[in-house]
Amino acid sequence: MTEAAPPAPRVMVVDDHPMWRDSVSRDLGEAGCHVVAAVGEGAQAVRIAPSVRPDVVVLDLQLPDISGLEVTRGLQASCPDARVLILSASGEHRDVLDSVKAGATGYILKSASRSEFLDAVRRTAAGDPVFSPGLAGLVLGEFRRLAADPDPAPDIPRLTDREAEVLRMVGTGMTYKQIAERLVLSHRTVQNHVQNTLHKLQLHNRVDLVRYAIEHGLDSPAPGSRP
Amino acid sequence: MSSPQAPLWRSIAVFRFASLAYTAVLLGLRPQYYERWGWAWAVFALMVAWTAVSTAGYAVPARRTPVLFGADLALTAAAVLSTSVLQTPQALQLGVMPVTATWLAGPALTWAVAGGVRWGAAAAIVLGGCTVLLREPLGGKYQNTTLDGPVILLMAAMLVGYVARLTTRAEQAMQRAAELEAASRERERLARRIHDSVLQVLAMVQRRGAEAGGEAAEIGRLAGQQEAALRTLISGDGAAAVPAGERDLSGVLTGEASDLVSVITPADPVLLDQHAVAETTAAVRAAIDNVRQHCGATAKAWVLVDDEGGAVSVTIRDDGPGIRPGRLDEAAAEGRLGVSQSITGRMRDLGGGADIASTPGSGTEVRLRVPRDRPKVSP
Repeated sequence: MTEAAPPAPRVMVVDDHPMWRDSVSRDLGEAGCHVVAAVGEGAQAVRIAPSVRPDVVVLDLQLPDISGLEVTRGLQASCPDARVLILSASGEHRDVLDSVKAGATGYILKSASRSEFLDAVRRTAAGDPVFSPGLAGLVLGEFRRLAADPDPAPDIPRLTDREAEVLRMVGTGMTYKQIAERLVLSHRTVQNHVQNTLHKLQLHNRVDLVRYAIEHGLDSPAPGSRP
Repeated sequence: MSSPQAPLWRSIAVFRFASLAYTAVLLGLRPQYYERWGWAWAVFALMVAWTAVSTAGYAVPARRTPVLFGADLALTAAAVLSTSVLQTPQALQLGVMPVTATWLAGPALTWAVAGGVRWGAAAAIVLGGCTVLLREPLGGKYQNTTLDGPVILLMAAMLVGYVARLTTRAEQAMQRAAELEAASRERERLARRIHDSVLQVLAMVQRRGAEAGGEAAEIGRLAGQQEAALRTLISGDGAAAVPAGERDLSGVLTGEASDLVSVITPADPVLLDQHAVAETTAAVRAAIDNVRQHCGATAKAWVLVDDEGGAVSVTIRDDGPGIRPGRLDEAAAEGRLGVSQSITGRMRDLGGGADIASTPGSGTEVRLRVPRDRPKVSP
């Protein structure tokens, strides 16, 4: 995977619905991706990830055995180079947010078109977060929630005005290009603003977990626990 | 499922056998009260036999027929009345317990359990009447204590009748609660199943349809609409507790989502008072109608709910061509106040406001603001 100018991303598909698993795998295969595994259970995904070494894990949050959050955490531990792209139905807001805070780098709805989906996989493989409007709304809401905490922690992450503005624009379906034009910024700057918001949340999540572990005298947080 | 009155029937059976034992003790200890002691034992034997038969009868609900209840009362009454020929005149005069002793209460209790207060009282009066008859007319003498037994019997029968009705009602209430719980659990299970199958298929149809284009795209669009509607239906009712008088704006607006309208919300509920939620929703609908009217049937729209703490903002953006500067003022001047009234007016009434902005290349954006701590305005 070191040679070959644009290396075909290695993708693992995790979805308990066979129809979606097959369809997504086929689309990825046709688009030139290398589907290294397609599994229906979270625990299985975490177990085989180190041996199939995926660049991207396409993850449905509705799994029969363990939660999407646990899969994301498990993958971070067992296969830290894999980037998690959530491909899920709408209406699973908390789960999506928790998984993103735990390190998933993208979220795209199952109702998205095939080209949108393939684009999302390519961007995830390249290391760019896939920020759908839905994810922007969730991230914005999470910052609002943290700020509204009556007893805020000193290191609570905050959005700059510009970041809030950009998130609101992403949340109303504007593309980076449209936002860049509107705000007279470069495409790259807009992208940085968006990535920053995500990094702040993920960092805060890690700090929170560490603090929780110290307070409770744990060496490592139990899976599924949240402070 | 066992009947709620099964324990009552069992306790009556226990009472009858215990009474038989008491009767035997009284008979054995007091032969001096009896003219015909041997016959008294014969009556006792009949009582034992009838207790066995009737207990077996009452044990099975199907056998609790009027015949059984009638026979029970008649036989018991006859046994009570037989006392007049079995006991000595002195014993009758003294008001000694009849040969049946406490066993005579049996039918009053069974009638009460089966028929309630009134039937229990009726049986108690018949049996109490028999014990009274044993006195004066049949050789005894009325005494101050003559009515004590019958009155106690009457009260006991009425109490048992009342308790029996109460247990039935409590059981019915419990069963209704259990049915409700089972129904909601079944509903949750169905919701999960629907999520796992139907919604996945609808999402897939939508996706494939959009790719195929033409008529298939229309089918895909319809599938998308149904997916959104069905999802709202199954996720809506399980909502967390919302304080009285308030509603979750996110949840209500999510109902406006369709294949062309994306509703973007935070993960947690956005609570506002009911009036504000209704008015904001109406304003959002008006804005979406505007998109349909001015940008065509295929224009997409996004509705973003942002809970800023002190206020809630809702942004509606479309990907249409945008509004020419000054167009809205012209419309107002021409007396076409649709946008102004249904959107701006509503927001102003809520103590907030609405901004309408349009940038060429990124559609029209309507931003509604609803303050949380607004002064109370009379509707």
